Amino acid sequence: MSTSESEDSTGLLRTVLPPNQVDRVFDFCGENGWKLLALGAVVGALPPLLGLEQGYYMTVVSEMYLFAILALSWDLVGGQTGYPSFGNMAFFGIGAYATAILVKDFAVAFPVALIAAGLLAVAFAALIGAAVLRLRGHYFAIATLGVLLAAQQISRNLDITGGASGKILLQVPSGTVFYYLFFGVLVAEMALIYYLSNTRFGFILNAIRDDEEKATAMGFNTTYYKTAAWMLAALFTGVAGGTYSLFNTFIDPQTAYNGAWNVELIAMALLGGSGTVAGPVIGAFGLHTLIEFVETAFVGWQLVLLGGAVIVTVIGFPEGVVGTLREYASEMAYYERGGMAAVDSGEDTEVTADE
Amino acid sequence: MAVTQFVVNGLLVGALFAAVAVGFALIWGVVDIINLAHGEMVMLGGYTSYWVLSLITGNAEGSPALFLVTIPAAIGVLYVVGYGLQRTLVSRVIGTDIFLTLLVTFGISIAIQQLAIQAWSANPRSIQVSFADPSLVAAGLVIPKMKLIAFVGAIVLTVALYVFLQRTRTGRAIRAVSQNPEAAALVGIDVEHTRAVTFGVSSAIAGGVGAFIATILNIQPQMGLIYTLKSFVIVVFGGVGSIPGALVGGLLLGSVEELTAGFVSSQWTLAVSFTLLIVLLVVKPNGLFGEGAEQ
Repeated sequence: MSTSESEDSTGLLRTVLPPNQVDRVFDFCGENGWKLLALGAVVGALPPLLGLEQGYYMTVVSEMYLFAILALSWDLVGGQTGYPSFGNMAFFGIGAYATAILVKDFAVAFPVALIAAGLLAVAFAALIGAAVLRLRGHYFAIATLGVLLAAQQISRNLDITGGASGKILLQVPSGTVFYYLFFGVLVAEMALIYYLSNTRFGFILNAIRDDEEKATAMGFNTTYYKTAAWMLAALFTGVAGGTYSLFNTFIDPQTAYNGAWNVELIAMALLGGSGTVAGPVIGAFGLHTLIEFVETAFVGWQLVLLGGAVIVTVIGFPEGVVGTLREYASEMAYYERGGMAAVDSGEDTEVTADE
Repeated sequence: MAVTQFVVNGLLVGALFAAVAVGFALIWGVVDIINLAHGEMVMLGGYTSYWVLSLITGNAEGSPALFLVTIPAAIGVLYVVGYGLQRTLVSRVIGTDIFLTLLVTFGISIAIQQLAIQAWSANPRSIQVSFADPSLVAAGLVIPKMKLIAFVGAIVLTVALYVFLQRTRTGRAIRAVSQNPEAAALVGIDVEHTRAVTFGVSSAIAGGVGAFIATILNIQPQMGLIYTLKSFVIVVFGGVGSIPGALVGGLLLGSVEELTAGFVSSQWTLAVSFTLLIVLLVVKPNGLFGEGAEQ
């Protein structure tokens, strides 16, 4: 990863990886976004067909997809719309509990339960969003954290959720099913967000992030767009949560409403580059691999690492991998074309993922 | 009489919440940072006092006087921790996006938590303070002695902070930086140092309160976040930068929690205070006292 080096812009780096090459990669990604996404979808679908069906790596890769979904959902509201939520895991928990209860206590087939979980999370988001999306900055962040912890406490005290001991699910589908489920949701979400980022809807979300008052002054009903993005994020997070409860075969208030995960997924989105489609996914794959490694090698230190990673990212390069690279890429164009032309070429390259 | 007893319990605990919240409000007002690691300072203060007492007596038990001796230690250690955190990490994100400041302090918070678990295990601990005779009983109300001492201690810390801000030269410098950092720099105040002192003083107060909390409740590495959030509820209620507001807010929050515990169930206290937080934010984001922060 040359990102950290690109900051000091040494001569060596420029020879090995000239900015205009990076710029060309961005252009290529921008032009062939859909093809790259399709290619990624095909490559990602291969492992189970090639014989990887069970075991450690299957679980790790599935979790990677899960975190990518969560980070991307967070980024839709946190990065694209500029409302940093510390309570996204509330949707996850609601989805997880809804699925667990429906499958276990009401014997509902799990695809139906997943859809119900997603819809329930959306309904919850609409309800909560009406209140918290009126707040900004500090207040929004803390209110969402409050929502997460209140939801956790309520689940801990209710009978239907199994209280503090949670719910155990025994009859679950095989690992391959979950692999495709997580992967399918991730691809669908990436496609949707990539599509939206070039539509009026996506532009308005970005306008809200940049200056909400101006967006309102231009006649957009910002509340409508904010709430829609928030509900969309809740849908994917809720479905991911529902899938996770079966995947994990166990759910309790601590895992379902995991505050540390919430920070983890924010760190992923930031590390990769928030406000883009590829960024959160790259960040999720990278950070999750690292965390998985630390979890096996140094048990009990993963949160120290996570805290450190968050601090370093925020202080070191808040633009993330994609953002820093893009800045680096536009550097050369700045000298070649001069003035604002460089800024333009840097801004309209939309990237997509190819993982 | 049950209601009166609950309210009295609530006021006794509420003073501790208030003293934690005062430091939180001070950092918010002066440095413009929501310090999500503030609760960890409470936790660290509790552990400092616990270990100092263990060092003296061999186990974490002792007479009230011996316990009170550990308080300056907790305050001193946490002052250094707070000052250091501000100087090394937090100062780097001042003036950037609010969200980045939240993330940095959250990162500090979870890192401290996990380090504390590694160092001291996740088991709850408490300091046992021995008394010769049982709780005070006045007009049918039971008042545990240690709670009374903790209450007085918290009030003393809060008032001390208030006097420090109002009467001392450093306190005036802190208030100047909070009003206008540039103008403060122009008249010769070292802004960076003053901010770090603010951070240190706030953490020190939280640490002192943490020591009291270790005697009447218990301490464990993951206790911090709850105190941070309670501080937030209190500050939102009392208004940013208002010490009297925070005091009233803390006493009220304590009473509400004890009443919930008494009439519903103690399991619901946290759910109620977090719900109260959301409702307050939506209904009255500027607080009942003070002018509040800009949105």
